[in-house]
Amino acid sequence: MATICDEPWTLNVVRVMSRPVSSSDEHAQRAIAQAWPDALDAEAFETLFRECGSDVHAYAISLLGDRAAAEDVMALAFERLYRSRARLDHRRGSPRAWLFAIARNAALDELRRRRRQPRHELEDELAADRDRGEALEDVERRATVRDALAALPLREREVVLLKFHGQLSNSELARALGISESNAGTRLHRALARLREGCLQAERQEEIA
Amino acid sequence: MKVIPFPGGGSASPDEAAWLAELEAALNGDGDGAIAGSWRQLRQDVRALAPPMDLEFERQLRAQIAEQATHSAPKQPHRRSGWLRPPGRLGSAAGIAAIGAVIAAVVIAGPWRAGTGPIEALPHQPAASSNAGRAESFDHLGVSAPKGPFRAAKNATAQGSASASAGAASNAPASAPAAGGVGSAPGRVQQLAASITLAATPSDVQETADRVSRLAVSDGGFVQGSHVQVQQAGTSEANLMLSVPSAKLSGALASLGQLAPVRAESQSLQDITNTYDAARQRLSDATAERQALLHALSRATTEGQIDSLHERISQNRGAIAQARSALQTVSQHASTAEVEVTVLGDAHTGSEGLTLHRGLHDAGRVLVVTLVILLIAAAILAPLALLIFALLTARRAWLRYQRERMLDAR
Repeated sequence: MATICDEPWTLNVVRVMSRPVSSSDEHAQRAIAQAWPDALDAEAFETLFRECGSDVHAYAISLLGDRAAAEDVMALAFERLYRSRARLDHRRGSPRAWLFAIARNAALDELRRRRRQPRHELEDELAADRDRGEALEDVERRATVRDALAALPLREREVVLLKFHGQLSNSELARALGISESNAGTRLHRALARLREGCLQAERQEEIA
Repeated sequence: MKVIPFPGGGSASPDEAAWLAELEAALNGDGDGAIAGSWRQLRQDVRALAPPMDLEFERQLRAQIAEQATHSAPKQPHRRSGWLRPPGRLGSAAGIAAIGAVIAAVVIAGPWRAGTGPIEALPHQPAASSNAGRAESFDHLGVSAPKGPFRAAKNATAQGSASASAGAASNAPASAPAAGGVGSAPGRVQQLAASITLAATPSDVQETADRVSRLAVSDGGFVQGSHVQVQQAGTSEANLMLSVPSAKLSGALASLGQLAPVRAESQSLQDITNTYDAARQRLSDATAERQALLHALSRATTEGQIDSLHERISQNRGAIAQARSALQTVSQHASTAEVEVTVLGDAHTGSEGLTLHRGLHDAGRVLVVTLVILLIAAAILAPLALLIFALLTARRAWLRYQRERMLDAR
């Protein structure tokens, strides 16, 4: 449930605002901070929300497996982004990359804070896909991808999610992860290889069955 | 086939860079062919796995963003003017720390503190040890009625009988410490002295010296000697030697400090109990001798004895007078304190007659003081900043470690 705060600009979903705003994503903020050409005014911010909001939400819910937590993370990420908008630096990454870096840290903090295993609501959502009348082949393929993705270690899964949901370049991915670009590439390569392996394995098992 | 066979597999290959470039191109829509299509398909599948955002949540968030857009439209924070922005929590803390450090530095280095600050060495800073033996070298002082705790002793000595004088004097040391200004000890006879250096403009030296004299008189003291030297160019100076009641020494110094800025101040104390006791004993002995001579005179029977006794009594009278005078001098030393006042009229201290040279000198002095303050502030702030930086770095590293560990744990 959300409430509106007196402050004109605070992304104050109650679940988010009921706890103190941590500056734990300072690293990411600083990594991509000073990142925008000019100021990120409220109008540009609204545009950013329109373009990236659903992706951030998808990333968070895919990582956390919890809708409420994902909404918390999303609101927190946008709030932090807005608060630190004056430190943007265009040379160090796009606003989208910055946003995802903040969201990533917020999501990890959320996991760490709640000490909660990701819950997989995706299964139910996938069932809803069938109801939407999509092709059975698509539904089954996504189920395979979902299982393979869920089988990945969290460290590798987050790389894949950041890459596909965030649509980040390799350099932006590296900056969001706080590692070198070559390391990020290696990690992405390994994660996708393992994802492919998982998909092929699931496919083989299904063929055998 | 349910899964599009996107490429990849095995450990990092030597062609990893090319592989990543191909992936990047495919995801950006630049690549063609089945492989690029498979990458895009995979991305689409992964993105399709995530359930859509809750409509109510999205609506609220969007509404708040739109509300903000209407509230803060003209706000244009730029990095160039970032320092104009309201400070955050860290900035506020840093600002408070900086202000505190500057205040501390100002307090430490403040030029108004006596004897400190960027002021040249003082010509007179008599130390307590330099006053050793002063008690025995006060013969040049003018004789005045002793005041304070020794007055009763002196008066009794001067007027009354020798025994009464000795008795009164013997009581004096017990009350003498009440007059002591610095570190007086019970039952001791102590002599106080002080030295103070005042700063004044050259034109104010004479006036300040006059005010010092008037102050000494108003405090029940007097000016033992003074020397005032006023020069058209260079340093003017006045030296005054005051004698004030010991009981009023502290008050006198405080009053002197209000006449002009104090550059230096010192106080000294010398114990003269032995000198006092010796003088008192000599007087007592002489008085006893007189009593004995008078007694012998009353019993004398011959002219020769009477003449001899008269002569000895006459000599004894002189001895008594001498002993009494010595005791009076010592008492006076204990009941009065010497204050050496130096008024320095530095040519650059004044504000009159503004000249380029004086202005430059003053500006230089202001700069020096400012630099000293900044230096002290930096000395306080630098370790503080290092500590805060180290703490922040450690905290950041700890958070990062926790996140990474959490990733590995799952």
